[in-house]
Amino acid sequence: MAESCGNPSSEQDALMLRRSKFDKSNICIKCKVNPGNVVIRHAVIASAECFFPLVSSKFRRALVPAINPGPIPDTPRKKKGSLKAAGNLCIGFSGGLGSSVLLDLVTESYFPSENGNTKGGSDHPRHHEKVWDHGTVCYVEICSALPGTRDRTEEVRALVSEYRHFEFLPLRIEDAFDEAWWAKVGGRGLESNMTVDLADEDLILSQSTTSDNSVAALHSYISSLPTQTAVPSAIQTLIRLLLLHTARSTGSSHLLLGTSLTSLSVSLISSISQGGGFVVREEAQEEWQPTVESKRTVRVNRPLRDIGMKECAMWAWWKGVHIPGKENYLGGKQGIGALTKNFIVGLERDYPSTVSTIARTCGKLAPKDSSDSSCILCGRPAQPGKPDLASPPPHLQNMTPQIPPVAPASQSSLTPRLCYACHTTLTSRSSRGSTASGNHINSTPLPVWVVSELDGVGHRKMGEKEMKESISEYLLE
Amino acid sequence: MPPRTCALCSTNRAMLKRPKTGQQICRECFFYVFETELFKPGDRVAIGASGGKDSTVLAYVMKTLNERYNYGLELFLLSIDEGITGYRDDSLETVKRNQQQYSMPLKILSYDELYGWTMDAIVSQVGRKNNCTFCGVFRRQALDRGASMLGVDHIVTGHNADDIAETVLMNIMRGDIARLGRCTSICTQGEDTIKRSKPFKYAYEKEIVMYAYFKKLDYFSTECIYSPDAYRGHARVFLKDLEAARPSAIIDIIHSGEAFEIREEVKATQKVQQTCKRCGYMSSNDLCKACTLLEGLERGMAQAGITDRGRKKLESEGPAPENLRTIPFYQPPSAGNAAILLEAP
Repeated sequence: MAESCGNPSSEQDALMLRRSKFDKSNICIKCKVNPGNVVIRHAVIASAECFFPLVSSKFRRALVPAINPGPIPDTPRKKKGSLKAAGNLCIGFSGGLGSSVLLDLVTESYFPSENGNTKGGSDHPRHHEKVWDHGTVCYVEICSALPGTRDRTEEVRALVSEYRHFEFLPLRIEDAFDEAWWAKVGGRGLESNMTVDLADEDLILSQSTTSDNSVAALHSYISSLPTQTAVPSAIQTLIRLLLLHTARSTGSSHLLLGTSLTSLSVSLISSISQGGGFVVREEAQEEWQPTVESKRTVRVNRPLRDIGMKECAMWAWWKGVHIPGKENYLGGKQGIGALTKNFIVGLERDYPSTVSTIARTCGKLAPKDSSDSSCILCGRPAQPGKPDLASPPPHLQNMTPQIPPVAPASQSSLTPRLCYACHTTLTSRSSRGSTASGNHINSTPLPVWVVSELDGVGHRKMGEKEMKESISEYLLE
Repeated sequence: MPPRTCALCSTNRAMLKRPKTGQQICRECFFYVFETELFKPGDRVAIGASGGKDSTVLAYVMKTLNERYNYGLELFLLSIDEGITGYRDDSLETVKRNQQQYSMPLKILSYDELYGWTMDAIVSQVGRKNNCTFCGVFRRQALDRGASMLGVDHIVTGHNADDIAETVLMNIMRGDIARLGRCTSICTQGEDTIKRSKPFKYAYEKEIVMYAYFKKLDYFSTECIYSPDAYRGHARVFLKDLEAARPSAIIDIIHSGEAFEIREEVKATQKVQQTCKRCGYMSSNDLCKACTLLEGLERGMAQAGITDRGRKKLESEGPAPENLRTIPFYQPPSAGNAAILLEAP
């Protein structure tokens, strides 16, 4: 019984009856014969007979339409035909529940069985030409960014070695500042060493004469961030870009992530809470193109997006999937991601349908404007229009540092190349002011892909002529 | 080709195409429409007044700015009396004091007068669960009807940035696509509805409280006694946690809400706006939500307007009886409707 706002001793309806955990009976709603073992949302599903096919079919329904090149249809794929991806497969492996289950499901569904499993009928993709010629499992070790955490690379390597179809490709988060890694993934050579002044809300760029090693550069970057909430966002962006560049360099057409329905809802709300409404679609699925000139895209897919955390846990438990575990970098009480996760997981317990409602609602959204540029830091589409036009009215800008005035003409600024969410990450202050602690706050190193993009590109104040050009389509003379 | 003349003044040469409307207009007219986007001199504006901090500050700021900048607005206070003993009756006393303090005409429209039901009576029939559904639907319509009675052009409400951010989150969590698409608009106006604005859209709740505190404004501060909306409560706590971690989170959520819209294919599946066959108010079905809820109350089946099962049960009982109490037919806003009794100061 839960207490509402009334006094239960004097008011009868002040006590609200707790809902039963499932709707009708405890018989599996799929086969309607066996007693159920698991409660999923409001319904009961039986064990192996019904659970495994259900999860497998949700997994394939989310993935199959995105396998063949070309636009992804809105409706489920009906036509029978060969499934053949345009490139290889890269799985982003975090060591957590979702990615462990994903690796198991992908192996089971799309790679020849290790024990001669012939189940699935003659049309099963397992029995045909391989959908992806080559598979890579990419793991980003983040212990360098989080003091006091341990390196799990060898544990993950041992786990991945059990899946013989996949090559293991370990990365470290400091690779984001490593020129050698950048060259290895085919990045353009870096001519200069650009840094940014995170103490200045204009985000003024400058050339640095010294060059740190990648771990020191990572530490400088993290410690210069203005809030504790910015750290998890920054780590997440670095991991994402490391995976994307690696996927491209391995010739992968698909990067699969083990984001479950629960995690997807967390990501969506977390992104919206950080001003990422313009890229809400990309949180679920995106086509990433490293540069405009490059025609090769990496399709980022989350095939577990219809499968809740609980179902993933049941899958791992019943199938004996080993989960190496991962570091929690979401930031405790200070992190937007951690707060969102607590909120969503709590809601899922009391209101089981909410999590899927969030994902479905966000699936019906699209950005208001089309975008022809992408953010230099996160690589996602940037909202068109100058940032100062997208920001709240001037009187609010002092209170919540959003988009600062453009830098003086003689100096270059990073601001015009950032999306709203990344700009907020680099400039938003906590109520106690900046919590940055690094010595390099005035010359904070930038990830290699940012430096590469900035190389040779001048940034200046927008002149009157250029301003006129940006509104030229509305001017009659 | 001869130079085009301004679509608004038909005198000057058009200099630009207004991005918002596509109209070709001259520079002076552009300045004018830009500056008078929200209000124009002589507008009759109703301030939705509950006696709480937001609407009290709004009334004070509107009056102050109206006088300071000579906006020339005719301001009214419009209060809705939901009929909640021990809550609304107390807050209305505050509104009546505001009426005297700000020298503004006040109109109080009660649920009892409009629907024949007070919230006290509704709660005694439906219990505490879902009573907010009745109150929310009835209040929205009551505000429009009150404004129509006052013959005003525009309703302003005291929704602040925290409210808007909370509504964005709630609409996502409830899957309310239609509201999600419009909840961040500073100004909304349908074909048959009165223009509504939220001038405090970017004002943080804390700033509003601070403003009221330093200006020593007289406002009423109590939570509604019938609001056990645990679901919204969770969202509110979450938002406060976000704000504590990163103060810009509230404005960031609003920015997100402004940056997305409903996909075209989804828009096409949404119901077309029409008018309620029974009361003439805007509706997406034959009957508006308020009429459906009222019919359920009148026929002793309060769940009819809330659940599908309740609606089916109501339909299976046959058509509504002839003598069913209904909401008076809605008169679209016009200045001619203004001959009504206002509260005596």
